[in-house]
Amino acid sequence: MKAYFKFELSQFIKSKKNIAIYVLLLFLACFYALNIAPSYKPIEKVDAKEIEARYLSREAFLSNFTNENRFTGMAGYGLAIYPKWNWLDKSRLDALNDNKLKQYSKFTSEWYIYSNNITYGSEHFFYSPGYYTHGNLYASEDGYYGYLYSASRYQGYAEGKSKLSINVFEERTALQTLQRLLHSYLPMILMICCVFLTVDVVLKDRLNPSLLKGFPISDWKKLIIKGAVSLIGSIGVIVPLSVGLLLIGIRYGFGDFQLPVPIYSYSGEPSYFNKGEFINITMGSYLLENFILLIFCFMFLISLVLLVSMIIKNEFANLLVAAIFIFNEIFYFKRGIGFFYEVENYPTNYVQVGQILSGYRNYIYNSSALNLGNGLTALGMGTGVLLLLIFLISKYKRYKLV
Amino acid sequence: MWKLLKTNLIIEKSSKKNIFAFIFVALFIIGLAFYMENEDVGNLVALKTSEHQNITSALSQFQVMDASKDGDSNELYKNLNEQQRLISLQRVAAKLDKPDLFANSAIELANLREDAFTLEGYEEVAVYLPTYTVNKLESIFYETLKTLDIPIFKDNLSFYQFLIFLFGILGSIWFIFLAFYTCGIMIEDFRHTSLIKGYPIPFDQYVAAKGISTMSIILIFIVELFLCSLLLIYYRGLGDPTYPVAVFDGNYEIYSIAQYIGICLLYMISIAVFVILLSIILNVLLKNMYLTLFVELLLFALPTLFPRMISLFPYNPFNYMNFTNLLNGVSLDLAHPVALNSTYGLISIGLSIVVLIVVANLFLSTGKLKRV
Repeated sequence: MKAYFKFELSQFIKSKKNIAIYVLLLFLACFYALNIAPSYKPIEKVDAKEIEARYLSREAFLSNFTNENRFTGMAGYGLAIYPKWNWLDKSRLDALNDNKLKQYSKFTSEWYIYSNNITYGSEHFFYSPGYYTHGNLYASEDGYYGYLYSASRYQGYAEGKSKLSINVFEERTALQTLQRLLHSYLPMILMICCVFLTVDVVLKDRLNPSLLKGFPISDWKKLIIKGAVSLIGSIGVIVPLSVGLLLIGIRYGFGDFQLPVPIYSYSGEPSYFNKGEFINITMGSYLLENFILLIFCFMFLISLVLLVSMIIKNEFANLLVAAIFIFNEIFYFKRGIGFFYEVENYPTNYVQVGQILSGYRNYIYNSSALNLGNGLTALGMGTGVLLLLIFLISKYKRYKLV
Repeated sequence: MWKLLKTNLIIEKSSKKNIFAFIFVALFIIGLAFYMENEDVGNLVALKTSEHQNITSALSQFQVMDASKDGDSNELYKNLNEQQRLISLQRVAAKLDKPDLFANSAIELANLREDAFTLEGYEEVAVYLPTYTVNKLESIFYETLKTLDIPIFKDNLSFYQFLIFLFGILGSIWFIFLAFYTCGIMIEDFRHTSLIKGYPIPFDQYVAAKGISTMSIILIFIVELFLCSLLLIYYRGLGDPTYPVAVFDGNYEIYSIAQYIGICLLYMISIAVFVILLSIILNVLLKNMYLTLFVELLLFALPTLFPRMISLFPYNPFNYMNFTNLLNGVSLDLAHPVALNSTYGLISIGLSIVVLIVVANLFLSTGKLKRV
């Protein structure tokens, strides 16, 4: 069995297609690090000018309207809310000018909570303009999430021991970039790579059947070894990607594993009135959770491809079935349906691993059940069923591998 | 050659790959219809609500000032206030189902926006507003609606309306789909050389037969697109084939849906021929199905990854492979704007096809392949 494993692994590594995938990923990682990452414009940026402009105009208002009790209506409302708001802005501005980053974090966190309390559902105030891009229908919902996320993040900076800098605040360091990417399209790219690496692992044997007559191993064991080799190969895509991270790290710093990552979670059942709250975990445990969930996704995908390879024996079919798994979510996704359907039971719901683990999927699905535990259960049970099917089918002569 | 073509078609008929590709196309169309239904694509009230939000946050960039006609605020501020009023009006018109009011205020809005582009300080608020091209297309669209006196269509899932949306999406993925479908076009035959050797015809004719049989399957895919959409007639009705679509084909023009679909089909067919030839040549050169696929996808992605290339080499056929972006005038809004003309696009792809045929002929008759 060991010999067969070595044989499969060497075939896997020498395959032109697999080398091309790694080279392509290396190209994309470098392209991202050199071209896209520098032009990243965070919505919640650190901008002393912006704070100052807001502070000065409100300060002008406050100094003109001194007697609080004489004004009612909008002016009275302004007099009630601006003093504290302005005090926070002033404290942020001073801390930033004196380069006291801990202080800045502390007041910024408070500022975000205070601003969100006033802005959410208000007709007079707005979140940072970055949320209201042309065509975004859910700008204020995104703003709510973004503000409380930032509040929690800055609280983490203020209380934590990490080394702070403007790059950390704007989430530009290597680890934070990885975190942001896991929150967007990186999981999909990794899974597409996994599918491409696995797609011909069974079917390539049909070209040179005589080669394999020498290995007296049952089909079932062969498949397990092929699956293991694909899994190792899929995890190997980390290598080219880390080159990109290295490039980002040299330019913007690496960040550290103690940095806070806010997780959105509910204390009770989610509903229209009961919104969740953010809890910080460390970057290290967030990335570890991502890694675990990703590996479960890989295992599910690989067993799916192995099964389809056995039954249909066509590489195009492998690609199609795997693509359906990866992209299925867009067909039923709708904001808030998690409240009505038990979306956490579908393995296809866990493709966006970063968004699942940060709770963002819970927020937009309005559910509280999309978490690591349920994900591992759904994917693990799915993989188990697929492996059982593979085991049963491999006993039939009709579905012989070679 | 005809005998071989017949054999090829028989093989294609029973190919599992084709069966799965057919299932994929059908699933894609049905999925798209569900997606549109779920996301409520084209709901005017939701659209205008979000536009209202955008303009309000644009306005929040300014200090509050007197925005009346002879007030002391600057021109852009007045302009944006006026835009906000018109958008509110449109939202009411959409809610109360008053298409005339909607179209009139849309035209007024588009004119205001056009004025705004020249005003001082526009870059500060540009992100909240549509780009110049989008605005221009909207403007001529509503003007046509008004002159032709066509009511604004509300049901985006009726047959013809759905087709615009479908072909709009296809424009972005047609090349990718074809690259996946044709990347192994010759590989199967390299594996079963006895098939090739059984026919005493020159290799170039053999390749031609292969190309023609693949092309005929692709034509069936195109027919399938229409057949699957036909279901919507039963559920949502036929729609109106003369309904206008605003496109950029070198100038800002109005096409009817039928015309629009026509030009999309022309593009789809010429891209199909192009991709088949490219796949054949790359298959011969690289002898690997996946390498062919990756090279094709990379070529397709290059203009997107390096947008400067588009203005440097405007006649590169790969600039025209995403015909949705082409017809929406996306290249006009790049950092280095360039007006891509859809007729030149067809010519460019056509010329490339000729070049590819010549290359294929040279390659395939020099005996490089005969060793297979």
